[in-house]
Amino acid sequence: MLSLFLLLGTALQLSAQAPAFDEYQVKAAFLYNFAKFVEWPPGTFANSTDPIGICIVGQNPFGSVLENMVQGKKVGDHTFAVRRLPDTEQASQCQILFIGAAEWKRTRVLLDAVKSTGVLTVGESDDFTVLGGIISFRLDGPRVRIKVDLQTAEHARLRISSKLLSLAEIAKKQP
Amino acid sequence: MSESLAGGGAGRRSVTLRVRVGVTLALSLELTMGSAAQTPPPRDLTQFTLEDLMNVQVISVSKKEQKLAKTGAAIFVITQEDIRRSGATSIPDLLRMVPGVDVARVDHSTWAVSIRGFNDVYANKVLVLIDGRSVYHPVFSGVIWYAQEMPLENIERIEVIRGPGGTVWGANAMNGVINIITKSAKDTPGGLIRAGGGSNSQADGLAQYGHNIGQTGNYRVYGRYANLGKSDTAIFAPPGDSKRTWEGGFRSDWSLTPRDLLTVQGEVRLVNGGQTITGVVLQVPPVTATFVQAEGDDDGNLLARWTHTYSNGSDISLQAYYDQSHVFAFGANNWASIGNIDFQHHLRIAGRNDLVWGLSYRAGANRFSGNSLVTLHPLERTDSLYGAFVQDEITLTQTLSLTLGSKFEHNDYTGFEIEPSAQLVWAPNGRHTVWASAAKAIRQPSNIDSGLETISAVQPLGQGLYGLVTVSGNPNTKVEQLRDYETGYRAQISRRISLDVTGFLSFYKNLQTSEPQAPYFNPTGGYLAIPLIFDYKAHAVSYGAEAFANWNVTDRWKIGPGLSMLNMSLTRDASSGDSTIEQTPGRAPRRSYQGRSFINLGRSFEWDQTLGYTGPLAAGNIPGYVRLDTRFGWRWGEFCDFSVTGQNLLAPRHAEFPDIHFVDHMQDQRSVFGKITWRF
Repeated sequence: MLSLFLLLGTALQLSAQAPAFDEYQVKAAFLYNFAKFVEWPPGTFANSTDPIGICIVGQNPFGSVLENMVQGKKVGDHTFAVRRLPDTEQASQCQILFIGAAEWKRTRVLLDAVKSTGVLTVGESDDFTVLGGIISFRLDGPRVRIKVDLQTAEHARLRISSKLLSLAEIAKKQP
Repeated sequence: MSESLAGGGAGRRSVTLRVRVGVTLALSLELTMGSAAQTPPPRDLTQFTLEDLMNVQVISVSKKEQKLAKTGAAIFVITQEDIRRSGATSIPDLLRMVPGVDVARVDHSTWAVSIRGFNDVYANKVLVLIDGRSVYHPVFSGVIWYAQEMPLENIERIEVIRGPGGTVWGANAMNGVINIITKSAKDTPGGLIRAGGGSNSQADGLAQYGHNIGQTGNYRVYGRYANLGKSDTAIFAPPGDSKRTWEGGFRSDWSLTPRDLLTVQGEVRLVNGGQTITGVVLQVPPVTATFVQAEGDDDGNLLARWTHTYSNGSDISLQAYYDQSHVFAFGANNWASIGNIDFQHHLRIAGRNDLVWGLSYRAGANRFSGNSLVTLHPLERTDSLYGAFVQDEITLTQTLSLTLGSKFEHNDYTGFEIEPSAQLVWAPNGRHTVWASAAKAIRQPSNIDSGLETISAVQPLGQGLYGLVTVSGNPNTKVEQLRDYETGYRAQISRRISLDVTGFLSFYKNLQTSEPQAPYFNPTGGYLAIPLIFDYKAHAVSYGAEAFANWNVTDRWKIGPGLSMLNMSLTRDASSGDSTIEQTPGRAPRRSYQGRSFINLGRSFEWDQTLGYTGPLAAGNIPGYVRLDTRFGWRWGEFCDFSVTGQNLLAPRHAEFPDIHFVDHMQDQRSVFGKITWRF
């Protein structure tokens, strides 16, 4: 009987299968790209060879994809260091801080803790920029879109290249 | 949507529309985590330009938890942070923070936990699930809380749904559902040693280790020992309510493919202790005596769950478990074995419909060994329960959705039962959600309802004569029914404040009563028998409200106030002679208030308070009380945590519940508990 269900389920879904990347592979690639198109405040790196810290707070939706992707990669002279953090207490080691959808309940609190500290916050909830985040991912059908809040980025003293901005949606200021 | 403290009341999508058990939500999280993990990138995405990335098609398995805020049900989620900062050492203690949940400590190790009234040590109108495994005991019609211990560190979250959940969860999810969801083994790598101790001879030690198995799997194993001393109360009977618990368990999670997840988990437990009871001693002549009786449990369970996710977000899951338990109390023993299998298919149709349907089957075998005071008839019994459910969330407009569904379930006592529900949710924007629901739910009878035989009291009649009051089950069982109407509002009022309010109106029909029969003289025993037999002749109406808020006062300080109100009136059929049932509304407080405060002092110190007022209980004249708990936590470096929690600081002791089912109530004491956790 079970196999019947499975067959049924499979049959129902087969038409929808298409070759594609996993959502989090693509999001990981975006994070890597952000490092190329964002300039951190002067003094962020003591040495030009210091790694760029990409931190994932709480639930990690990437598995090991992000680590594998940035391993051995360089932006300028900077390598990458991927860290998983339970909260934002050690966020000083992070240049990019990813807050996944699963952390929706404390997104605001996490963001408040790092605001204006020169950390590029990246999230994936609809209201991420409203809550004080800088870049948010949004799924538009099967495609990943990004939204940037320029004002928050400015407060964090981050310079985002026009290349990135030209492809992003710019968050409107909340009333 | 809502914020960290207390879960903000944002609903979980799983809860209403798609998930058989909270587990599936847990799974969905694992899926989002696991799916990417072991996929070798087919091409190196780092070579892609931003434009390329924008055009790449993705397979999404993320469940968009924001949508969970738009659930048409009253839900409260206890998060890991809530658990850690409460300083609680047991699950019932944690549930005190949820408005609408009645938690009373009857003695040190006996808890009465219910939702919206009908509280009892065998509260039979709330379903409790641990990783999708029901811990509602089929014989006692309730949850034996001291046997539901686990390392609280391993809990991912607890979803508490107030109000009926029968459409998805089936019988006994009448007044609510408590879903305890443990972490994936992937989230608990490494070693953990925790040692704690406190006043009242309390000790609690845990050793745990987790690691990956190759590329695709993760596991953890743990062992725990806990000791709970007896109450110090001197006013009542001799206390004997201590417990010792030994338990061990494992969980393994496997990403078989990026789309297939397998979880296998199990645990064994041994609990030994006692309780103080007041019961009849059958000597000549019989007397009522108060004494300490052994009480405990040994149990084990094994569960496996497989889920497969399709590229469009649809999924199927199959879960099976086996659970065996031996419980002893009142000098009687019960052995229960349960096998359960659930299948669920969730699919999206044409963009408008989000449909979930499922099938379930359960077989249970039970053996009871009674004595002259308590026994069951028959002593051995096997039962089966099978059912199906379907639920569809229909998107009516951009902001309005309607969810319709029903459970169809067959039990061996009353045959087929239907539990339908409807929910309408209006979410005009991300900040406000208004919902309304109507549902029917039932409590199905259990072994005790049909076959209990107990001598509950002795009545001296003078001149050496006496009467014995007996309570008997009634094979002619009925389901207790609820028709429930609710409405709620959730809002993110400002960047710092979120609010959740629910109102409910509930109509209960055919509540169980104990009906007195004509007394008769038992010549062989030489006593007057005063029999009571279960029947279903009471009805109740209750209404009330629950509200809670989260307020991030500053970046370092947040508070979470809450309140609940319950008004219940109970009536009996004219033919009913059970006046004791009228105490039922008096076993839940009409008002209670909660308040929590979390303060971060610098980077490594936390100072937290939990304040709660519980209104008086008319049953047993239990006065209202205020509890104040405070916790001081210190994180020492990366690997070490200390915390000290003081509970019940305002008074040396207070009672929380009257005597019930022979169990003498004790008083909850002021206590201190300290612990150190070391991770490596």
